Amino acid sequence: MIAAEHVVTPEEIMAYRDGELSAERAGVVAAHVHGCSNCQDMSEVLGDASQLLASWKIALLASDASFERRLSEMAASSPAAKHPSIGSRLLIFGRRHWFLSGLLGSAAAIALVVGMASISAPRKQVVTMAVRENRLLAQSLQTEPADQAPASAEELQPQEMQHSRVRAELDAVTAQRDALLERFQMEQMTSSLANPREATTMPQPSAPMIARTVSLSLVVRDFEASRLTLDAVLARHRGYAANLNASTQQNAARSLQASLRIPAAELSASVAELKALGHIENESQTGEEVTQQHADLIARLKNSRETEQRLEAILLQRTGKIGDVLAVEQEIARVRGEIEQMEAQQKSLEHRVDFATIDLNLAEEYKAEMGTPSPSISTRFHNALVVGYRNARDSVVGLFVFFAEYGPFALIWLAVLAALAWFLRRRWIRATSQTL
Amino acid sequence: MNQTPTNPVSDEKLMLAFAQGSPEALTELFRRYQQPIHGFFRRRVTDPARAEELMQETFLALLRAASRYQPRALFRTYLYAVALKILRAHRRKTIFRAAFFGRPEAAPDPAKQDATETSVWVRRAIAQLEATDREILLLREFEQLSYSEIADLLGLPINTVRSRLFRARAALRQLLEAPAPEHRSEKIFPVGASS
Repeated sequence: MIAAEHVVTPEEIMAYRDGELSAERAGVVAAHVHGCSNCQDMSEVLGDASQLLASWKIALLASDASFERRLSEMAASSPAAKHPSIGSRLLIFGRRHWFLSGLLGSAAAIALVVGMASISAPRKQVVTMAVRENRLLAQSLQTEPADQAPASAEELQPQEMQHSRVRAELDAVTAQRDALLERFQMEQMTSSLANPREATTMPQPSAPMIARTVSLSLVVRDFEASRLTLDAVLARHRGYAANLNASTQQNAARSLQASLRIPAAELSASVAELKALGHIENESQTGEEVTQQHADLIARLKNSRETEQRLEAILLQRTGKIGDVLAVEQEIARVRGEIEQMEAQQKSLEHRVDFATIDLNLAEEYKAEMGTPSPSISTRFHNALVVGYRNARDSVVGLFVFFAEYGPFALIWLAVLAALAWFLRRRWIRATSQTL
Repeated sequence: MNQTPTNPVSDEKLMLAFAQGSPEALTELFRRYQQPIHGFFRRRVTDPARAEELMQETFLALLRAASRYQPRALFRTYLYAVALKILRAHRRKTIFRAAFFGRPEAAPDPAKQDATETSVWVRRAIAQLEATDREILLLREFEQLSYSEIADLLGLPINTVRSRLFRARAALRQLLEAPAPEHRSEKIFPVGASS
């Protein structure tokens, strides 16, 4: 529309009509339009378009007195208008003084971190005190003489009172266990009197047979000395270690797990000596009643021996076919096998009763040493490279495994969601195109 | 509109006065801008009742945001920015409802809403413009905003605003020159306007 010789663009003509040009540029455009018929036409066309648009009149809105009154009431009662909120004031302050706000924000963040640290410090102290109390309690349990006279309640300190409470609970459990054992023994005797035939055929032991097991977890200060003491205890009480595992890693707490077998009569003394090795972290005692099991085994053994004797008598006194003789010998062999098996069970059972088991767990109270030599830098760098390579390899493998495991599942859902998204997008575009 | 002979106080001073606790200032602003804001919505929303609601919503938003007001630009620009945000929110809701619940009712026919056939024809021509061009044209022609104010409102460079405004005016002229629908008559559209 505008020829190449025009020194102004159509947009400039429009801006000139709208009063949006600078005074200098407006003078240039005005001078050009004054002498150019094409640009005059352009200017008139733009003016006509504006006139046409101006013909689009909107009917005046009828005055809504109710809304105006409501707005006035809200404005009068608006707390924001009377007293801007603290948040609004802070926002305005932040916009005006952004640098100072940044400094204040950083200071507040630091203060918050310091405050959180100071709040968590007392909690750590409480935890430390609780740990210390537990250690004191363990020491008092360990070092208290058996014949110490009980102190009055007024004289007991809180730790001692707690100690007394634990001892009282332990004594109550022990008494309850003893009462149960006595009642079981009485029931056995009563049933024997009520059924004399069974009593004569099944010999009952004079005392209940109990296989005892004690579990002890200790924390010791001197691991080597404790190990020597353990060997001495075993030798003194004629016991032995059925199983023993010791872990002596460098720069770490050493530990020992052992399964000790101690003669039942020596159990209490052995346990007391083992407890003296260090702080008790865990202790439990169990007793398995095997009297009935032992009696059944004896009866079955007796019957099998009688069967063996009858079979041997048949083999000696009777004559018959070779097949019959061989069958009797096979039966004798089977019965002898059963007898030997039951004798082994009897010995094992009696051994469990005669030798109590102590599952001991010793852990050293480890203190890191300052002079511990650390690996050289080259070794550490080499180790880091190896670990880095392994991590990279594992991550790549893990990624492939993840896609192999969840890829099909993800593809299915991706297809479903893509179809849904496509449908929604189509509806969105349709709705957008229809909305002014 | 910024100042009237009977009330020489500027819009910005009135807004600051309201922010500092003078409810009468807001009432005065409402009287000044009730009709322009209503026209702003009426030209963009087909439902007259909805346009009035949006106008009222604009002044309520103004009331709520009074404490954060900063006289960094003309109050008129600030007010139209608030109105534009409310209009966009309204359009989003409309599109969402149309997308998920269908179109509950047909939009009222502008031909039955406005008084003259010229208005109908112009409105239909404007509706065919590209959305941003249309918005720039309306803000310039009816709200009388400057190029820089339009650029701030829409977040566009000022040169883009100028070129798009020219494009919108040229496109509108072509649309108005096209064969007229049944409503067009020589009496309404003078020859000089379309040539």
